[in-house]
Amino acid sequence: MPSSAAAPPTVDGSRPGPVRPLAALLLSLAVLVAVLFIASLLAGRAFLPLLQRLLGHFGGDGETLRLILLEIRLPRALLAVLIGATLGLAGAVLQGLLRNPLAEPSLIGTSATAALGAVLSFYSGLAGVFPYALPLGGMAGAIVGVVLVIVLAGSNGGASALILAGIAINTLAAALTSLVLNLAPNPHAALELVFWLLGSLADCSFEHVRVAAPFILLGWLLLLGGGRALDALSLGEDTARSLGFRLESLRLRIILGIGLSVGASVAVAGSIGFVGLIVPHVLRPWVQQRPSLLLSVSALGGAALTLAADIIARLLVPGPELKLGVVTALIGAPFFLHLLIRLRSSLS
Amino acid sequence: MAARSGKSSTPRLAAGALALLAASGIAAANPQRIVSINVCADALVLELASRAAIASVTFMATDPYFSPRVEEARGIPVNHGQAEEVIAFQADLVVAGQYSGQNAKGLLRALGYPVFELELPVAIPQVREQIRRLAAALGESARGEALIARLDARLSAAQDPGGSPRPLAVIYQPNGFTLGRGSLADELLTWAGIDNLAAQAGIRFWGRLPLEQLLLAEPDLLIFEQSPGKAPALAQQLLAHPALQRLRARVISREIPNSHWTCPGPWLADAAESLAEARRLWSVEHAVQRRRSADR
Repeated sequence: MPSSAAAPPTVDGSRPGPVRPLAALLLSLAVLVAVLFIASLLAGRAFLPLLQRLLGHFGGDGETLRLILLEIRLPRALLAVLIGATLGLAGAVLQGLLRNPLAEPSLIGTSATAALGAVLSFYSGLAGVFPYALPLGGMAGAIVGVVLVIVLAGSNGGASALILAGIAINTLAAALTSLVLNLAPNPHAALELVFWLLGSLADCSFEHVRVAAPFILLGWLLLLGGGRALDALSLGEDTARSLGFRLESLRLRIILGIGLSVGASVAVAGSIGFVGLIVPHVLRPWVQQRPSLLLSVSALGGAALTLAADIIARLLVPGPELKLGVVTALIGAPFFLHLLIRLRSSLS
Repeated sequence: MAARSGKSSTPRLAAGALALLAASGIAAANPQRIVSINVCADALVLELASRAAIASVTFMATDPYFSPRVEEARGIPVNHGQAEEVIAFQADLVVAGQYSGQNAKGLLRALGYPVFELELPVAIPQVREQIRRLAAALGESARGEALIARLDARLSAAQDPGGSPRPLAVIYQPNGFTLGRGSLADELLTWAGIDNLAAQAGIRFWGRLPLEQLLLAEPDLLIFEQSPGKAPALAQQLLAHPALQRLRARVISREIPNSHWTCPGPWLADAAESLAEARRLWSVEHAVQRRRSADR
């Protein structure tokens, strides 16, 4: 556990700060992500035959092997990294902005409203005409969701106000989503509610990466830039203002950043829950509770957790693979309960 | 009724009267207001019964995605499979599916309506039997036999004589569903001299086949449903996956409407002929390839 929180300045006057432990943490997380990335490329029903071919012969028809690795597994692993990092980052940012340990995109309803926006643009046929309509729909939905929760729960609201606002937004968005799906002209649509509510990376292709990645990366730029302001905010709104930070522009920046990154993520993979809740909490002690440091660390942690969950989703049961959201919920829901119990005193 | 010795003409007269009554009863029993509440039943009823005798078909009868007899269904009043609609049409025969509309069927039977259940066939003899049964219920047995005769003739022409290498085919539908061992599609593939990847993968009737497994098996023939309309769904996204499209560019693919091998009827021969033609094409290409590699 890093302990340089109270380290005195060194002889030459420079502050040691938590730089070295942070660099070590970032590096180990990056290595973890890389290892899981490679594991994701190898994991799947076709695991053994693939491994045999990799180790065995490169002659014969390498075409099939290349097809599976490059067109199916690689985009899937890339999306797991992009989306996982987005969720971890968004969770850390929301917890800093709302100063609430239970804030994360799916609990406060942002993922559900993003799904509604994506569903409207996909099943209406708009996304078939103009491919970017899909992430744009998700982004519009996500922005509406974040704004709604800020309006309903306020930045000073306690945990209960936030959870209640989240329940309301989630319920309304899910109801509207299932309505749209039932009204959609294609008969398969009504059965696809499960995908949008639980999320999945199955059978993604580079089309999905192309359509989502630009907006996700743009969102990251916006969010990562708000680190210092979040540090100040953790000292209180008035203190932050007196230090010269403009909270209105921070809020706007965060709304846009989350809207862009979470919106585009949900548009291609559905609503994946709990990643943004677990990762910041697990990693927070390692960065001495500093929000700005938590951002990049949560992004890497989120990528690692999502890659691991995606591998588990493929290998856990012998039948068809699980939805990704099922795996993250199996890990996340008990964690959430544990958090609630711990916070019970501050809730009452 | 026991015949009495003595006045022998009366029992004969009575028997004759009964026979006449029975015959007129059968003639009168030909349903004149047939209501079909199942899309497979729609198509077969349209094939067998005269148009004037059909009171209603389902709203899906004019949708080519579901129905193999779209043109014939136009202009006939539609229903949505509900019992109250059947009553409103004053049906004298209701034709339903085996697995759908359980509530409607139960209600109609309780109210005294004759309900004929059309079964989902899993083998070619069952298709013949269903045609025969429905034709009898409609009072069109002669037409039924003619239909079966034509179907048999076309099926024989499409049958593979055997003895040559067989291509490996996979039926791939939205969401990665496929038809495996024990399904009618599987029997038809065998009939046409084609191996079924789903059956080899152990799938019985229907199940999901992951895209990776499909690619690794390196099939020679891809069978899809007919192209859907414009309306999008995630289920169709899998069929548009770049990896599958790459494979499609290299191997023979065919589109066979799903209704052709789920609904019993003469359209089964359309599917068989399509498969036979694809198989012949593969045999030719396969022979050419073998000659090329032998020359090297």
